Amino acid sequence: MTTSFNNNVSDKEAQHSCFEEWMELQQQDLLELIHNSDSSSSSSTSNTSASSDFNLKQLIEKSIKHFQEYIDTRRHLACSDVTAYLAPTWCTTLESSMLWISGCRPSSYIRLLYAMSGKEFESHLSNYLQGNRSGHLSGLLTVQLNSVDELQRKTIRQEDQLSNKLASLQEEIADQPFAIIANEVGNPGEICREAEEALDRHAKFLVNVVEEADKLRMVTLKELINILSPLQAVDFLIASKKLHLCVNAWGKKRDHQHGRNRETKQERNTCPTLSGLKN
Amino acid sequence: MAGMCCGVNIAETEATTPVEPSSESARRRRMEIHQFRFVPTDVAAATQEKNGRKRHKIDKVIDNNKRQKLESSVTISLAVTDERNENEVLDLSESGSQSVEIEPDLPKYGMTSVCGRRRDMEDAVSIHPLFCKENSENSSNLHFFGVYDGHGCSHVAMKCKDRMHEIVKNEVEKEETQWKEAMIQSFSLMDKEVVNYSTSVLPSSTSGSNCRCELQTPQCDAVGSTAVVAVVTPDKIIVSNCGDSRAVLCRNGVAIPLSVDHKPDRPDELNRIQEAGGRVIYWDGARVLGVLAMSRAIGDNYLKPYVISEPEVTITDRTNEDECLILASDGLWDVVSNETACGVARMCLQSRRPPSPAGSPGNDITVTGAGESSDKACSDASILLTKLALARHSSDNVSVVVVDLRKNL
Repeated sequence: MTTSFNNNVSDKEAQHSCFEEWMELQQQDLLELIHNSDSSSSSSTSNTSASSDFNLKQLIEKSIKHFQEYIDTRRHLACSDVTAYLAPTWCTTLESSMLWISGCRPSSYIRLLYAMSGKEFESHLSNYLQGNRSGHLSGLLTVQLNSVDELQRKTIRQEDQLSNKLASLQEEIADQPFAIIANEVGNPGEICREAEEALDRHAKFLVNVVEEADKLRMVTLKELINILSPLQAVDFLIASKKLHLCVNAWGKKRDHQHGRNRETKQERNTCPTLSGLKN
Repeated sequence: MAGMCCGVNIAETEATTPVEPSSESARRRRMEIHQFRFVPTDVAAATQEKNGRKRHKIDKVIDNNKRQKLESSVTISLAVTDERNENEVLDLSESGSQSVEIEPDLPKYGMTSVCGRRRDMEDAVSIHPLFCKENSENSSNLHFFGVYDGHGCSHVAMKCKDRMHEIVKNEVEKEETQWKEAMIQSFSLMDKEVVNYSTSVLPSSTSGSNCRCELQTPQCDAVGSTAVVAVVTPDKIIVSNCGDSRAVLCRNGVAIPLSVDHKPDRPDELNRIQEAGGRVIYWDGARVLGVLAMSRAIGDNYLKPYVISEPEVTITDRTNEDECLILASDGLWDVVSNETACGVARMCLQSRRPPSPAGSPGNDITVTGAGESSDKACSDASILLTKLALARHSSDNVSVVVVDLRKNL
């Protein structure tokens, strides 16, 4: 992706391309995950299962590593322009409306897991009771459900704490010094060093909240994957990437319908690829 | 104090939920077993005696009057339940020579309680095997199972979890008490305790708590909980219910509800509410004064006298056909019928040891933290029902208790 030397443009470019590259990467990872999930669920002999488990674990690690790299790049960019990450211009309005501190809610991972494990559960119920546990996520064991529940409660608690932190910071804008400066300023358009400095200080706290939110997302994802078996984890990652890509595509379609055309440098052709992936 | 309230009790629930995995319950149980030793030998033998005729004979020796009063009918016992936990038995045999004679009848049960699709956990479950004896002379063991589904906040449900079994124990141990009166009295005392608790605690002292309602009036007055309590004796099941949690008995494959939900549009409940001067308004379903979607509850001070805490009590004789008892919050019952629930639980119990899924044999152990006497098949049943509820998109907390009622196989 080309980067302009103009500082303002480069910020925006870098932010956009950071996101676009992440979405690209997710799509590649998705294909690889699907491929391996299919082949490892078809090979069921115990001999191959150990090696395929190893395979899957590596894939999972790769996915997590990619996520971590994205978070790191983002954090780097956010340091100089945090508000762009709290109200991103690269997201569709559908995605933006779902944002929680510049990303998804960590608790939504558990909802996704419940949705996925519920999908085939009923049809497998009689099989399950007879001991034929086919389908990975539908076979969440006792220990797993308890652990998932525990993780969910913890995550929601931490999420609420962060939400409160952000709420305080949002309220700050109506308090000193912003409100006072605004009250005393003659022309809102004039350059006011005091305001600039206050906004910079405020931004540092915002960066902090975004960092903590990213950390919570990562920790929750890792803990969830630890609870799941490798095959379940791969299924989960597939589901989460499909969801992310789809919401992005659905959002684009909706924005387009409302006359909001976002200039994206490379239009990813998400939908056809995804439909091609359907197994 | 903070422990009563939402945020913190989550951790508390974790720690204590499946019948206190801590050594505390084990200790308590051991203590009860010790007490048990001093029971006169003939009575102790009676519990042990599987022959119904003999037991009946011995029962007669005991103060028959008292017993009849308590159970409100003559006991022609259908053999003593023999649902011992193997570990417990082992523990006993190690601890004393008399142990064989005094093995208590430990119930087999399983429980699951999850937050599900709610962000707040307002369900609470309490299980107390051997929580009391009917009276000092009678050695039959009573087991307590309670499911509480809170609304408004979780502190009433938590209070019920902490206290209801103690209150019931007190009432049951009183002389000359009958089950129905004892249970009605217990619920009334529980309700008073809850109301006193929330009015007596100064808001300032709880401001640091994580309780959503922070025990502030008037919000705090709008907090309550359902309560479905089952006391399982060797020959009876006493179910007391208040609200829309439910107890269902699975007998020979047939689902028999042992409680009837208290919904404001239940004709008799609607009448009662209207006679008390209240109204049922349809606002997202039938609600008392347009607010509460159930007609009875513990707490909910502001809806009195329309919403009452008096339970409906059913007393059911146990039979040889009884398979299991399911207690659950509406998180289950909203999406799973009584019949389906029984079908699932039954299948779990029948396949005594469901095979472990391929590739993860290590996970087959029951490590639910559910206390020593929790049972694999019952845990499987409760977890499966919970998963079914989640699969059917239950939007509430889901709590399920499954008690194995089968005579020893």
